[in-house]
Amino acid sequence: MKELTDEELCARVAQRDQQAFELLVERHQARAYRLAYSVLGNEADARDVSQDAFIRLYESAHRFDGRSRFSTWFYRVLVNLCIDHRRRGKWWSRMLPLAGPGDDPDEPGIDPPSEEGGPELEAIKQQSAGRLADALKRLSANQRTAVLLQVQEGLSSREIAQVLDCSENTARVHIHRGLATLKKVLKDQ
Amino acid sequence: MAATHPETALVPFIRGELTGAERNRVAEHLERCGQCRESAESFRLMLAELAAQLDELPAPEWGAYRAQLRRKLAARNQPRERWWRIPSFGWAAGTAAAAAAVALVLWLAVPGFRPSAPPVEQLALEQQEDIADVGLLRNYPVVQRLDLLENYDVIEHLDELQPPAKPNHAMRS
Repeated sequence: MKELTDEELCARVAQRDQQAFELLVERHQARAYRLAYSVLGNEADARDVSQDAFIRLYESAHRFDGRSRFSTWFYRVLVNLCIDHRRRGKWWSRMLPLAGPGDDPDEPGIDPPSEEGGPELEAIKQQSAGRLADALKRLSANQRTAVLLQVQEGLSSREIAQVLDCSENTARVHIHRGLATLKKVLKDQ
Repeated sequence: MAATHPETALVPFIRGELTGAERNRVAEHLERCGQCRESAESFRLMLAELAAQLDELPAPEWGAYRAQLRRKLAARNQPRERWWRIPSFGWAAGTAAAAAAVALVLWLAVPGFRPSAPPVEQLALEQQEDIADVGLLRNYPVVQRLDLLENYDVIEHLDELQPPAKPNHAMRS
């Protein structure tokens, strides 16, 4: 069964195949947890929400129509759960706003290409994991999710747009502004 | 001019997502724009750095994670017990409902269970008794001068009031 694709496993989960479900969980648990952790910012919430996403997968596998990749469908479920979770915890959403500055694709860019690239490149190369994680928290949820889906899951801009339920151009703006903000924050540190 | 820089297309270009005319346009721009080449290179490094560091994020013990997930799933799949299906609660609720139904039937069907309006004769009699009680009150002098209550000064100095003058029999005779 291990050679089956995610899509094939999902079809089996729709028929209540426990083994297929276990296998899908094992394949995606780390990435689902990391994505939830990156969006929500703490371990307990990341564990709960990512588990909820797998429960939703188990209960709604029959709704996966195969028109997109399984990962795109599943991460959309996960991201929506993360957003719902953040909306419920309003005090937390004030700290990490869902729609942050720079989320509007019509806004002017916050960081045009810089004339001086050398020091930036050196600075980026020298960042520690902690500093980068802190810098990630400065991004809006949409920017952070878009960047993480790109980096971690290897999703294309079009697939990220499907997950975030926005246009491809908007997804590109989220990625660009997220990376530009990271660059600026890391440079200022 | 920043407006002409294909900023949002740089990452898709780096990742090989662009095709056809758009890819050619970005490639041509990068050949002549040092700023965008620098940005594209910094984005490429940052994406690589992020990918490496994401693996270092804290992670739970996966066996325990899956065990907890199985428990959650099992709990959701258990048929939910409705309150009216709980045996003790069901008996109590059923008994209370039956008692209420019996009481309603008795109230509707048996005259003794329902407070009925008194007959007209009884009402008239009670009214006469009330009037007789009021008549008794008229025998008290203070009650006869209830208008005194409107003047609080009088009430405060009630002890100073003079007794009513006695009829002058001498004058009459």
